[in-house]
Amino acid sequence: MQVQEALRSWKPWVGLLFVLFLLWVPSSGIAGGYLQTLCFLTFLYVTLSTGWNILGGYAGQTSFGHATFYGLGAYTTAILVLRGVPPLMTMPLAGLIAALYALLWGYPCLRLRGQYFAIATIGVGEATRLLMLNLDDLIKNNTWLNGFLQDGVLTGGATGLMLPTPENISSYAVGFYYGAMGLMFLALLASWWVKNSKFGLGLFAINMDIDAAETIGVNTVYYKNLALMLSAFMVGICGSVYAQYMFYIDPQTVFGFPMSIAMVLMPTIGGIGTLAGPILGAVVYIVVQDRILTANLDIGTLKLSLSSMHLLLYGGLLVLIILFEPKGIVGLQQRLARWWKRRTGGVMARKTT
Amino acid sequence: MTIDIPALLVSAMLLAGLYATMSFGLALIYGVMKIVNLAHAGAMMWGAYAAFFFIVHLGFSPFLAPLVIVPLFFFLGILMQRFIVRRVMNAPPIASLLLLFGIWLIMQNIAYLVFSGDTRAITTLYTMMTFQMFGIAISVNRLLVFCVGILALFLLQQFLGRTYMGKAIRATAQDGDASKLVGINTERVMEIAFGLGIALAGLAGSLMALIFAFDPDFGRSHLLKSFCIVVLGGLGSFVGVALGALFLAIAEALSVLWIMPAMQDFVSFALLVIVLIVMPGGMMGLLEKFKKS
Amino acid sequence: MGVLIQGDNVCKNFGGLRAINKVSFEVKEGEIFGLIGPNGAGKTTLFRCITGVYPATSGRILFNGKDITRLMPHETCVLGITNTHQVVKPFPDMTVLDNVRVGAFFGRGWVQHEVKDAAKEAMRVLEFTGLAHRASSLARNLTLPDRKRLEVARALATRPQVLLLDEVVAGLNPTETDMMIALIRQLRDNGITIVMVEHVMRAVLGVSDRVMVLSFGEKIAEGTPKEVYTNPEVIEAYLGKSYAAGGAASQQINA
Repeated sequence: MQVQEALRSWKPWVGLLFVLFLLWVPSSGIAGGYLQTLCFLTFLYVTLSTGWNILGGYAGQTSFGHATFYGLGAYTTAILVLRGVPPLMTMPLAGLIAALYALLWGYPCLRLRGQYFAIATIGVGEATRLLMLNLDDLIKNNTWLNGFLQDGVLTGGATGLMLPTPENISSYAVGFYYGAMGLMFLALLASWWVKNSKFGLGLFAINMDIDAAETIGVNTVYYKNLALMLSAFMVGICGSVYAQYMFYIDPQTVFGFPMSIAMVLMPTIGGIGTLAGPILGAVVYIVVQDRILTANLDIGTLKLSLSSMHLLLYGGLLVLIILFEPKGIVGLQQRLARWWKRRTGGVMARKTT
Repeated sequence: MTIDIPALLVSAMLLAGLYATMSFGLALIYGVMKIVNLAHAGAMMWGAYAAFFFIVHLGFSPFLAPLVIVPLFFFLGILMQRFIVRRVMNAPPIASLLLLFGIWLIMQNIAYLVFSGDTRAITTLYTMMTFQMFGIAISVNRLLVFCVGILALFLLQQFLGRTYMGKAIRATAQDGDASKLVGINTERVMEIAFGLGIALAGLAGSLMALIFAFDPDFGRSHLLKSFCIVVLGGLGSFVGVALGALFLAIAEALSVLWIMPAMQDFVSFALLVIVLIVMPGGMMGLLEKFKKS
Repeated sequence: MGVLIQGDNVCKNFGGLRAINKVSFEVKEGEIFGLIGPNGAGKTTLFRCITGVYPATSGRILFNGKDITRLMPHETCVLGITNTHQVVKPFPDMTVLDNVRVGAFFGRGWVQHEVKDAAKEAMRVLEFTGLAHRASSLARNLTLPDRKRLEVARALATRPQVLLLDEVVAGLNPTETDMMIALIRQLRDNGITIVMVEHVMRAVLGVSDRVMVLSFGEKIAEGTPKEVYTNPEVIEAYLGKSYAAGGAASQQINA
């Protein structure tokens, strides 16, 4: 009966139409394949955003260092591919390595409260970036470890790693488009499942009052670490996808603080702790970034400085959101809905008297 | 390969003075308001660019610039507190963290807009000068920066110790409610404290600009170092922050002996994480990180 | 009646401060055990040592004969000891039902397979505590008496053997206090052992079977309510030496 009622509402139909549209995009060739690329990026970023949200939104542990997992996923795939492993097979491993690394530093760091955990994650993020940047030089003199080097390269330092490109790149890109779309739906499904499960309830309890949660039987240490590992796994897989799509990775991009910032900004602006928030946030992020970057293509040398405008915008948005609507876009929408209900409800009341 | 250890240590000590100046602003704001000021990084970076602007564009003397920068940033800090930060004082601490992060983002990207991402440096008469003392070559630049930093800290200590507002600040840091009860206007105190914190960050940035090259991304690693020092040293005592600064500066300098120079920052980042985890309640019960006592 | 909780020379220091100094006690099954004492006596600290929020500096705490001194709070909860907080800690952005559902899902009841449907159990507890009509309200919108009841309901949903109530009637008016006391009696009649920290003498002395008095971290008296409030040391701890001698104070406490 619930399904019948749901079908009567217009929302699922619009959603289905939208999904069909997305499926059609690659064959449509809109804007010479540009829309396809944009959608692909959006799928990736929605997945990233959703992954971060599980730890940052559901469990309430704000991490400014999630780029570590993205980078680890990317590098795991890149390193393995360069040694002959089929790319797709590296994906689960990429996620797993990210998750294990999460456990390694997460277990001690998650004992820290809110803001201190956040600071620690900045430290870990930067430390990992430096480590990966210099790893080749660090191990080349170590007789036991330098067996990992291939032509003197493991991580490739600042120059990064380059992956072999396939022959038919456009069908490859289309394949990735659908793959990323599938991944995104999987991630959303996982997020939805967590939100409605006992696990999710525990995470929300930890978020709202960790001491109370602990005394009421929630194993807070276990749950926090589990959330971190799941989050890291999802982000790691995204990193792997990135490496396979771009064929080039370097520490500055995948391990960089800007990447971590993006992962904080998207769910926070969209609506932290909700299901739709990360989606909205990612869409806004990609669209804004795209519009601002492309708007500068013809301004020549000024392009570089103006492209930071989108971060300036996000900084401003973040400040506004924290000050006025901590629940982000989703919160705004809820407020509007309530206001609308009051307006129309009032009109109805007047009509009946 | 001979490394001149005495010179290294002397250089480190001079740097420690700067580190202390840079960390105290963070410690002050945290102590009084219990919030972690991520915009500290932005303030340091703006301090560097302000120095650049005054010295290179307007031709100020390098040590006159701070005299302008400090009051300017003090005022900026008060404005930030009064109109923005104050609103989240009653929210969970993570809200103020995110807010200040947003402000840092804004500051950083305004700098990108105005100055572009190019690395800048300030060269003055003093930049290359060294003089010999006990057979060690000491950079005049660093020595002067050290002196200004120490002077500033000394003035700060006098202010905190002898003036009414200084004592009010210390009282509020210890117990906000009790301070209100004895008639201290804690709102005012927080404004002043935040202003001082930003001013110190700006000062530190303007001094660092004389020694290091910088770009808009400048504040981040120094923010982490400041936080590391604050956790190591503890609040409420200049001694604590000074010791923490000294410890870090020497650790960084000596680390060159064992690890690559490129990994020098790694020392402070790793130390920060380790210290946060291992230091129970900070050195003087500063940070209540753990729920168990 | 067996001994459920046993404390052997429990000590808790905070740095140089001795919050609890060699306190030994026994809580018997099915009783209502009162824990009183002036402010700062260490009552809440003792609670926290029992549940594991603070690790005891020395001494042992046994529950059903099992050593629980080093266990974490969620572990003692699963074993059967749940506490409420002096300053209530609801999950503010969850509904009342969800608040209690957390208890039902994560407490002893679930682990012992006594509770199979958490939502159902939560509803049952809400009806028992008189909060069913507020089930879908957000916890942040509740009045203080309702919040206190929610705190108890959530703890109840864990199906504890022992319920530690920390100043559960603080801030309630006399009518609300009576209602809470009635609830506590009902809980005991349903087989739950209660330990209550209280300042409101009327509440704790009227309903307890036995009472223990702490002062400056040490046990200074133990016995039936009447034995305790006529004990001159107890009177002195609360009201000072000058009252201890006279009988006027005991009449005040008896009110």
